[in-house]
Amino acid sequence: MITITHYLIISALLFSIGIAVALTKKNAIMVLIGIELVFNAANINLVAFSRYDQTMLQGQVFALFIIVVAAAETAVALAIILKLYHHYRSTELDKINQLKG
Amino acid sequence: MQLENLLAPLPSTLVTTLALMVLVLPLLSFIINLHNSKKFHGEWISSLILFTCFLLSVYLFLQVWGQEAHHFRFTWFRLAVGSAAYPFTAGILINDLSALMLVVVTLVSFLVHIYSIAYMRHDPHFIRYFAYLGLFTFSMIGIVMADNLLTIFMFWELVGLSSYLLIGFWFIKKSASNAAKKAFIVNRIGDIGFLIGIMVLWSQFHTLDLIALKSLMADSKIMNGEWLSTFSLSNNFGQTLMPEMWITIAGIGLFCGAIGKSAQFPLQVWLPDAMEGPTPVSALIHAATMVAAGVFLLARVFPLLDFQVLNLIAFVGAVTAFMGAFAAFAQNDIKKVLAYSTISQLGYMVMGIGVGAYEAATFHLITHAFFKAGLFLAAGAVIAALHGVEPYLKNDGKPVTLDFQDMRLMGGLRKKLPFTFIIFLIASAALAGIPFFSGFLSKDAILTSSLGYARVLAYEGNPLFYVVPILGFTTVLMTAMYMTRQIILIFFGKNRLPAFIDKPADAIKNLKDVPWLMRIPMAILALLSFGIVFALNPFASEGSWFLQGIDSVALVTPNPFQSYDSNDVLRNLMLYVSQDFHYYVSIGSTILAFLGIIISIYFYNPAKFSRQPKPPGFLARISYHNWYLDKIYDKVFVIPALKLSGWNAAIDRKIIDPFLEGLAVANVVLAHIIGWIDKNLIDGMVNYLARVTRMFAKLFSKVQSGQVQSYYIWALLFLMGLLLWVMF
Repeated sequence: MITITHYLIISALLFSIGIAVALTKKNAIMVLIGIELVFNAANINLVAFSRYDQTMLQGQVFALFIIVVAAAETAVALAIILKLYHHYRSTELDKINQLKG
Repeated sequence: MQLENLLAPLPSTLVTTLALMVLVLPLLSFIINLHNSKKFHGEWISSLILFTCFLLSVYLFLQVWGQEAHHFRFTWFRLAVGSAAYPFTAGILINDLSALMLVVVTLVSFLVHIYSIAYMRHDPHFIRYFAYLGLFTFSMIGIVMADNLLTIFMFWELVGLSSYLLIGFWFIKKSASNAAKKAFIVNRIGDIGFLIGIMVLWSQFHTLDLIALKSLMADSKIMNGEWLSTFSLSNNFGQTLMPEMWITIAGIGLFCGAIGKSAQFPLQVWLPDAMEGPTPVSALIHAATMVAAGVFLLARVFPLLDFQVLNLIAFVGAVTAFMGAFAAFAQNDIKKVLAYSTISQLGYMVMGIGVGAYEAATFHLITHAFFKAGLFLAAGAVIAALHGVEPYLKNDGKPVTLDFQDMRLMGGLRKKLPFTFIIFLIASAALAGIPFFSGFLSKDAILTSSLGYARVLAYEGNPLFYVVPILGFTTVLMTAMYMTRQIILIFFGKNRLPAFIDKPADAIKNLKDVPWLMRIPMAILALLSFGIVFALNPFASEGSWFLQGIDSVALVTPNPFQSYDSNDVLRNLMLYVSQDFHYYVSIGSTILAFLGIIISIYFYNPAKFSRQPKPPGFLARISYHNWYLDKIYDKVFVIPALKLSGWNAAIDRKIIDPFLEGLAVANVVLAHIIGWIDKNLIDGMVNYLARVTRMFAKLFSKVQSGQVQSYYIWALLFLMGLLLWVMF
């Protein structure tokens, strides 16, 4: 029997992997991928918990919203990365630190 | 009195415009000659300018003499006193007297210019000399034509300045620069009085215009011992009131100015020293400018004087005439004798003013100008001629210098310098008051008036007033005596020079009359010393064109005496009474003059004159030292003044200076302390604050690493922290 705990464990693993990717990768696109993993970890949680809302299924609806918004956000982020690449001729985040205080 | 009407601007006429030209031309001569190059021939330009001035003056004289006075006036500025704005006017006033003075000043100045071209030709500062002459003439002409007391005072001071420059012309000589300073300072003492007089008149009448002053003075009254003047200005009615003695103080103040400039007792000490200037300058100072200014001022303000002042003037004049004549006796310097005679003659003029004989005094001013200038130029000619023997001076290894102005070195020059001798003789005769010469006419007029004055005032029982004519007559005798002495010493007897020169025969041959350029001015002045120039009848001065033509003036001061209707009535009475004396005076003064000559010839017989005269007696010493006035002034004023300044200087040096220095040191110390506090405490605090701020800034700016991933970490950490905080 697959209980909610399994979902949560998967979700937590996915989140941790996403964070780890986002924090350790040099390439901006890889960081973006890590962030996508974090999104999906959250989505899994939402879908898992919507089991307790059989009538409205609010969790699933919300997950759908997030997928849509995340797609849009990824598009924007890719565009930004493209511009960054044009400007710096690199997508390595270590080198892009002009906002240093 | 309506002040607006009195002080209304008056249009200029041809006469006043030409007068303005006469005034400005000598200034032009001054400006032209300010450089110092001989190539330019500024001396001839100056002489030409002065000649033009002279011609213009003659034209003005012909236009004005015996006619209405010409007066040009404009409002210079307005002085607000209280609510009223008093107009201050300035302008040009040409009446009979000033027109004649213009002729005299420009003529004498022109002749002195011509004479100086030859006399000064070897001087390295030849051109500067002509510049000063121009300034001097300009200032004097300014005094002559100014129409109010303030402008007169300005030109008066300019005369003082230019006389200072000319007396000290050879300023390398210590004595010359001292003489210049002395003349300047002594004159300033008189000028203080002049200023006081001006101030009194201003505060009483609120104007200094001579014509307006005359009307206002005539309008003022004395009531209960108060001097009251009423006037109106733009419908404001005003009056000023002061104690009656202020009329007298104003008069005395104005007279003080004249005392200084015209070398009257007790300020006559500067004039003999002024002989340090070049001789032509002496001629100018003693004849037409400077000393004449004082008498001219008295003539201008004559209507404003009251009888207390006139008495003072008469006595001062008489005393000065006597003292000057006495001091002329024992002088050895050819120019000093003439200087003292000038003092004496100025005493006559001032005495003439004092006894109310305005016309006679101004007449003497004019005649004296010519013969005294002639005398000085002749004396200059003698000095210049004697310089011809300079190459022959005995030379015993060291250079010998002789004082060529010392009459003890002269004698017997009659044959060597016949021309100069004749000139000197004519001018001396005029000075001594010999009939047929101009001095006789004017001196007689003054003496006659002085007798009338004494008679009228002594009528009330005070014979003291006879002192004035007695001193006057004594001076006639003494004048004849000292002039005869001088002529004997210079021109008669044996020449006393040979003792000092190597080859006397050659040297004496070299003694000859001065060049023609110098002779012509002397000749003109000598001609003007003849009585016929002024009057056809040599014994009747009242018949001279001068006394006939000059416009009469009246005393307009309110009368302090109850026994006469007005001051002018008293004056006219004196003049009337004096007519009785006329013949006695003519005869008496002639006798006195000839008596003086005879006594002198007996006393100073050249046969008796030895080169080593016996030590001077008591009287001779008093005479030689000019009554010891210089010594007395030294003891009474100069030395105490020097001592006082010495004390003041010591106080300055020993008390005030150290005190100020201590103050300054304390200030510097304090400043250092404050500086330390500033640098270390205040600056330190501010710096510390800045440093702390920077430290924090560095700390916080490290958070902003610019790396997106570090922001993630921070966000994650805070999120986890938040969770922990929420959960527990």
